[in-house]
Amino acid sequence: MTVHTRHGDASDGVTAEAVGGRLSRVDGPAKITGAAKYAVEQQLEGLAYAVLLESTIASGKVRAIDTTAAEAAPGVLKVLTPDTIISLRTASDWFGTPPPDKPYCPLAHDITFSGQHVAAVVAETFEQAVAAAALVKVSYDETPAIVDLSDGKAGDGIPIDAMTKEWGDAQAAFASAPVRVCAAYNTPREYQAPMEPHGLIARWEGDQLTVWEPSQWLDGMARTYAEWFGVSFENVRLVSPYIGGGFGSKALALSHGAVAACAAKMLGRPVRLVMTRQQTFTGYGGRAATRQTVALGADRDGRIQSIVHRGVNETSMDGMWVEPLGSVTSIMYATPNFSSKQNVVRVNSVVPGAMRAPGENPSAFGIESAIDELAYEVGIDPLEIRLRNYAEQDPHAKKAWSTRQLREAFAAGAERFGWARRAPEPRSMRDGNQLIGWGVAAGTYPVRRAYGEAIVRILSDGSVEVESSSIDMGQGTYTILAQTAAETVGVPADTVVVKLGDSRFPRAGVTGGSRLAGVMTGAVYKAATSALDQLIGLAISDPRSPFHALQANTLVVANGRIASPRGDGPDLSIAELLASIGRDHIEATGDTMPANSTAQDRYKNYTTIAMSLPHTEGDYSRYSWCAHFIEVRVDEDFGTVRVSRVVSALDSGRLYNPKLAESQWKGGIIMGIGQALLEEGIVDRRHGRIVNNNLADYLVPTNADIPDIEVISVGIPDLHSSVLGGKGVGELAIVGVAPAIANAVFHATGKRVRDLPITLEKLI
Amino acid sequence: MTKTTIPIHLDINGQHHELQLEPRVTLLDALRDRLAPTGTKKGCDHGQCGACTVHVDGERVLACLTLAAQAQGRAITTIEGLAREGELHPVQAAFLEQDAFQCGYCTSGQIMSAVACIREGHAGSDDEIREYMAGNLCRCGAYPHIVAAVRQAALEVAS
Repeated sequence: MTVHTRHGDASDGVTAEAVGGRLSRVDGPAKITGAAKYAVEQQLEGLAYAVLLESTIASGKVRAIDTTAAEAAPGVLKVLTPDTIISLRTASDWFGTPPPDKPYCPLAHDITFSGQHVAAVVAETFEQAVAAAALVKVSYDETPAIVDLSDGKAGDGIPIDAMTKEWGDAQAAFASAPVRVCAAYNTPREYQAPMEPHGLIARWEGDQLTVWEPSQWLDGMARTYAEWFGVSFENVRLVSPYIGGGFGSKALALSHGAVAACAAKMLGRPVRLVMTRQQTFTGYGGRAATRQTVALGADRDGRIQSIVHRGVNETSMDGMWVEPLGSVTSIMYATPNFSSKQNVVRVNSVVPGAMRAPGENPSAFGIESAIDELAYEVGIDPLEIRLRNYAEQDPHAKKAWSTRQLREAFAAGAERFGWARRAPEPRSMRDGNQLIGWGVAAGTYPVRRAYGEAIVRILSDGSVEVESSSIDMGQGTYTILAQTAAETVGVPADTVVVKLGDSRFPRAGVTGGSRLAGVMTGAVYKAATSALDQLIGLAISDPRSPFHALQANTLVVANGRIASPRGDGPDLSIAELLASIGRDHIEATGDTMPANSTAQDRYKNYTTIAMSLPHTEGDYSRYSWCAHFIEVRVDEDFGTVRVSRVVSALDSGRLYNPKLAESQWKGGIIMGIGQALLEEGIVDRRHGRIVNNNLADYLVPTNADIPDIEVISVGIPDLHSSVLGGKGVGELAIVGVAPAIANAVFHATGKRVRDLPITLEKLI
Repeated sequence: MTKTTIPIHLDINGQHHELQLEPRVTLLDALRDRLAPTGTKKGCDHGQCGACTVHVDGERVLACLTLAAQAQGRAITTIEGLAREGELHPVQAAFLEQDAFQCGYCTSGQIMSAVACIREGHAGSDDEIREYMAGNLCRCGAYPHIVAAVRQAALEVAS
């Protein structure tokens, strides 16, 4: 590959612009000057404004909706109710499962959770819509609700057989183990709370629908809109140039989107609908509340003989969400005997959804707390017990790890943190009235893989253009794809323009599960290689080319110039070469789909998740890994916990841009600090409402809550995981943070908190 | 029908704008929906997140909790007005260099707060920066880099 020698802060011998370099965000200038236009900020002629009304009961029926006063209010164009909104068709789910042949109404008659959309008001201005919405009167016939997992009516739930993992005889081995620990670990409802609320602008032109909406999956959402309205996939265009955070919450078209698109169709005008911050807590699902019991049987040296794990997560009355609670439990440590089972319990809630590392995150809270308890039980250092039970291969799939730099992560993190200076006894380290605790925990996330496609164009001025319907919600897609195209073609990164966030571009699957970077760098690498081959081929073969007479076998392109590798002959800019052969541009499409893929395969790949490759496909088991070392300071009198130091060592394989990967890692760690100490959706037991549905009461970390954080990359290229050797980045770092903090709190105070968040009343 | 709008004059980034608005229109909605410089963001509309932070007469103000009418006759600066003749403000440059943002949605508010934080003399230490920047939420978790950017910019502004 070409190595550039342009300016930049070199890292690991790589210039900033090459893949692996610390290039600053290429979308950064637009974001720091306010020029970046997010989806709902488009200015459209004739835009109308919609406001949603949500149910105030959690279970029952809408008896009546009185819209008289609202319809008479100034500026009101339409009041939509379940009776007046146009009927849609039910869409398939994200696996592409054919839907039942029945109509779909995004406004509800039958109420299954508090916050369900029941009506919408559309007006000439936002203020008029808000004012008129307050005049709509909804009356209900309320029935008793199951408000959450601890509700007496909740029951044991539904067994999910697909989650069962068993080998050996876990119950018997646990019963006969010399050392046993067994405890229950709970996590509450948590919310993604991206800074940009969910919303959209929908516009119909004939039977063509354009939707400007923050989206983690343009092609999947376009499919849903197309199916709802019974138009072809090609008739729906999703546009999502910048996304103000998603964390799993913006991957699917949801009922508020259907309401806006219906309103736009009914009015013949573009309609903007943005949820209020309060509505975002029920307009889509956050992380499901979970309950786990983890039983570890071990010998007196702390070697695990058996793990028995049982998990429960909540789901909604009419939707199914499974938060895989045995995902980390089954792979982190070697054990000859294992059993994990899971139930889901229906409660009157919006269907929960994906939030940063769904499954792995709560799973790790269970097992990484439990092994810490075992460490104290047998009197072994919490780091040593993890090494003693190190899984040399995937204990569940019985396959070799593609790469597992977890031992290296423990070593690098412990060294940097100074773990060796830790006094083993709880309550043995203090600074005045602050009890100091040091905790460790590991994390992991599977490498999810899929296929992607991209177009790379070399333009007449020598610049390069990349197009993909994938998106950048802050992970750095714009930047790493520019680096990939720049390095592959051989041009400076600042001459590459990456265009994302338009479903008219070559397609991409969901941006979720930390798969996008691996998928799209692979696709852009292939497209760029193909464009470069065309360029060199033309330079050699076109009779008009100054290189024609050279009769060279190949040419090299570097820093935007093309020349013979021997150094003889001409040395031209790409622009000069294209001019000489009379070409306006060169274009290549690249994709990573299997060669014999049909059009149907491609549609399925990009619009569903049914074709994702299992992370244990073939001979290897593929995961990212990390180890967190965290110091807390607990006020002895008040029980307040502050995280004062974090050192995390992470294995995400090869980093395409360490500067941006470090930012994502730190972001995950910070969200983990919130999860450990602050975040909890509190349910009102009378009406099943989330009472703290705003950013003042649902506490997310602020700047003042966060210390300096040190991250260390211990990854090595993993070509079993992706074309260019990277593994997942975005979700990994949150996994293991909460147990590391809980473990540190135990070390500080001698109190084991197994119920997140760790708030002061649990410590005093 | 009774007249429901009033004339409102707004001075934004040195430009004079004459608007005809309902008195209940917030400064934030006036900026985003009527005048269309959408760099100022709406994150919560309740003064809880800081994404809409702008300067009114040089002081940081939450545009979602300010009626447009209240800002009449006062100098409003938004993120679009920070750069001078194409030259980034030192805080903007430091945010880019330190990678002090990811999704970018809180960034305008963070930068406006940071400019004021430095001007107020509250960027003397990392802890002080953390405290005086705590009103601007960042869910991507760019906080350590925001602190680094404010620290860097404070030194540049001082020199």
